[in-house]
Amino acid sequence: MSINTVEYFIREVIHSLRRNNWMSVASIGTVAVSLFIFGMFLMLVMNMNKMVDAMESQVQIKVYLEDDFSRDDARDLEVDLKKMQGVEKVTFVPKEEAMEKFKERLGDQKTLLDALDETNPLPDSFEVMVLQPEMVKTAAENIEKFEGVDSAKYGQDVMEHLFDITRLIRIFGFALMMVLALATLFIISNTIRLTVFARRKEIAIMKYVGATDWFIRWPFVLEGIVMGFLGSLIASVVLRLTYSGITAKIYDTLAFFPLIPEEPFLNYVTMIVVIGGMIMGAIGSTVSIKRFLKV
Amino acid sequence: MIHMNDVMKVYDNGAIALNHINVDIKKGEFVFLVGPSGAGKSTFIKMLFREVLPSSGILTVNGRDIIHMSNKDVPYLRRSLGVIFQDYRLLPDKTVYENIAFAMQVIEAPRRMMQRNVNNVLDIVGLRDKYKCFPNQLSGGEQQRVAIARAIVNNPAIVIADEPTGNLDPETSWGIMDIFKNINASGTTIVMATHDKTIVDAMQKRVIAIEHGEIVRDEARGGYGYEH
Repeated sequence: MSINTVEYFIREVIHSLRRNNWMSVASIGTVAVSLFIFGMFLMLVMNMNKMVDAMESQVQIKVYLEDDFSRDDARDLEVDLKKMQGVEKVTFVPKEEAMEKFKERLGDQKTLLDALDETNPLPDSFEVMVLQPEMVKTAAENIEKFEGVDSAKYGQDVMEHLFDITRLIRIFGFALMMVLALATLFIISNTIRLTVFARRKEIAIMKYVGATDWFIRWPFVLEGIVMGFLGSLIASVVLRLTYSGITAKIYDTLAFFPLIPEEPFLNYVTMIVVIGGMIMGAIGSTVSIKRFLKV
Repeated sequence: MIHMNDVMKVYDNGAIALNHINVDIKKGEFVFLVGPSGAGKSTFIKMLFREVLPSSGILTVNGRDIIHMSNKDVPYLRRSLGVIFQDYRLLPDKTVYENIAFAMQVIEAPRRMMQRNVNNVLDIVGLRDKYKCFPNQLSGGEQQRVAIARAIVNNPAIVIADEPTGNLDPETSWGIMDIFKNINASGTTIVMATHDKTIVDAMQKRVIAIEHGEIVRDEARGGYGYEH
């Protein structure tokens, strides 16, 4: 493809976008809205996945001791726990230390604890690490049988709920994305169809003088790609702002909620959204020009 | 240049447009295609640049097998042909120069060739000084000259014209025919469908008459042969 031709294509695209400016704006807007919703679901699903992953890979069991269990007995229990099969590491966490950690996690909100008036409702506990995530359940059940153990908690019961929710969101999100993608394709292909229709005489002349189909097609495909690109750019900017806003809010209120950090996550999302927008633009325009190439 | 052997064209609705056509047109010939409206002239013309595909027979244009040609090769066939229509088919938002250059642009001709060739054909059709005009600023005859310039700018071996003088008054038509004569004199084959008796009678070129889809007359130096 010569420079001359590339120049011609670019001129054609700009000319065409200007000529149908309102339809172009409407198309770009639709692409932006669709991709924004797509991006929101994408980020939601990815965050849920991360949570599930984090919990699934947990090999830690929290063993809470009964309040009247003495520290001496606890030391004996520690020895017993260490002897258990599959147990890798046992750490004793006295209630004072647990309180410190809790305060740390609460961050700015640690003033909430003032209401406790220096009493410490947290129990002494052990953190028991097992070798593999699959061992967690049995180990926890066995540990609960020891004397002095109030309860042994691990992430999996929460995880099972979470997994159900994630699956629902995935299915619903996927269906919604398909609908949105189709709507976007439809809008883009309609806009391009108007352009193509307005220029059908030009296309016919191009065919008569021996332009190849691809030469005729390129400016329209490019126009679709440009519309997809501009729409996805708008969507990306709004997505970034939204995610930043949400993470800031969540960190304010739920300090220990494990969200995916903004960087580089938002760059990936932007990339997916932009590429998705351009692909939809390309497909949408290719579909609509097909009919007009038959001369 | 053009070879038709037992060419048939039957449209989807069963209408027979052309029936057992046998024609040979050699390089440098000037051929008039005459006959009543609906006789099959347009189908004949359109088959040459493969807008219409023959139903059976053998058709070669400029050495290319029209019937067995893949769609991909059609643009390259058309680059060796110049096509001119009764209604000029110029782009209204492009100047004379741009309309002609467009034909080179879309086949990705090198830019340095473009200016030379366009100026050259503007001289041939006598519109050098109007190159900046838009089609609506030109008379019908001038617009047809632009269309001719566009058809020959890529140096085609064959020029195919479908009623090129159909919308023009007699005097203007003669101006157009002079241009065709010059193009033909430089070795380009010309196939022209026409209803213009005066022109055909005066030019004394080969005449092929088609009626009801069949060739009823093929004379090396013929007249129009129909009364208006």
